[in-house]
Amino acid sequence: MEISGWDIAGVFAKAAMYAATLVAAGAIFFLVYCQTLLREGQRTVIRRLIGILIGVAALLSVCRIALLSGSMSGDVAGMFDGSLARMVLGAGEGRATGARIIGLCLALLALSPKTVLRGPAVLGGIIAATSFAWIGHVHALTPNFAPSLLLCLHLLCGAFWLGALPPLWVIVIGGNEPQIAAAAARFGKLALRVVALLLAAGVSLLLMLLSPAQLLTGDYGRLMSIKLLAVIAILGLAAWNKLHLTPRLLRREKRAAVLFRRSLAAEITVGAFILMITAAFTTLTGPP
Amino acid sequence: MLKNALLALALCGVVAAAPCMAHAKLQSSTPANNAKLTQAPKTLTLNFNEAAQLAVLKLVRDGQEIPVPLDKGAKAGQTFTLTLPALSPGTYTVQWSAMAADDGHVTKGSFTFSIAA
Repeated sequence: MEISGWDIAGVFAKAAMYAATLVAAGAIFFLVYCQTLLREGQRTVIRRLIGILIGVAALLSVCRIALLSGSMSGDVAGMFDGSLARMVLGAGEGRATGARIIGLCLALLALSPKTVLRGPAVLGGIIAATSFAWIGHVHALTPNFAPSLLLCLHLLCGAFWLGALPPLWVIVIGGNEPQIAAAAARFGKLALRVVALLLAAGVSLLLMLLSPAQLLTGDYGRLMSIKLLAVIAILGLAAWNKLHLTPRLLRREKRAAVLFRRSLAAEITVGAFILMITAAFTTLTGPP
Repeated sequence: MLKNALLALALCGVVAAAPCMAHAKLQSSTPANNAKLTQAPKTLTLNFNEAAQLAVLKLVRDGQEIPVPLDKGAKAGQTFTLTLPALSPGTYTVQWSAMAADDGHVTKGSFTFSIAA
């Protein structure tokens, strides 16, 4: 596998685009799901974070078109070649980017504290998070209806999980112990089901793309295996949070909040690594 | 209810979905890679393993790019035939990049051929 500077830039941009879009969507879900647990100041911080992430996701979506055009031509001038950009947009990236931009625009409504705008903002988050299903290896399967639905489910569950981590971090940094315990318990209650769905959808998709033996052969399989190991690690952290730290937080034990913060930081790190690996194997390689 | 629906969806997908192809790869070309020709070819043909759009094609000889007309607005296809200008004897490198029609992935490659004096 030959990797050029364009490929590396493409992987980083894609990973950042995944992160910004999914975390923005997930933070909106968290804002609605844990609305009553949050203080006004925390809601403001989370809304600002959502606003920044939406801006970054939109910018990276546009940059990706230019990067793909530049990658094809092999020079910087290609990034501004209209005919190449039209080709990129016509090959499916246009569908995905269009859906993402529409979703992100709707998601901007989450910046308003008005309750009536929550529904459209959540819808925007859903559209933005599932925009990645409009192109790629799963979309290329025949027929692609059921696989695409599973990928949408996988993306939404991933967004719910990863998008909750920064708001939880905001609570851990600025909240008191009862609030931290209440937020961890409330998130953990739904997270268990969400993680089960995430895994079920992910494993089903994996079986559609690869046979178990192909996990160890070829670049795609090996990168997928690394992702699976990272998923096992993040699942372990989530289980540690839910089964060990949350009960300790609820009992107001000393150091439980500190441990929870460290565990969240580790989850954010592993989550970022998972997105990076996903960007790598969906950009540089393809199913055998 | 939800579990059953998800299970059904997953089973349908696993059973019905045909594996997708890897990224668009060049299967063959005319002239072929490392071909030694006695006459200058009038056309250049590229065959891909799946439908793709040919985005860039550069014909280079001694570091000089020779313009080859390419319709970037053409529909995706597996075979592309391009008309070549009159080529003089020498070694030529063809650099191409294509975008797969199904998954939008970019692939690149190059091959050489030579024309004897």
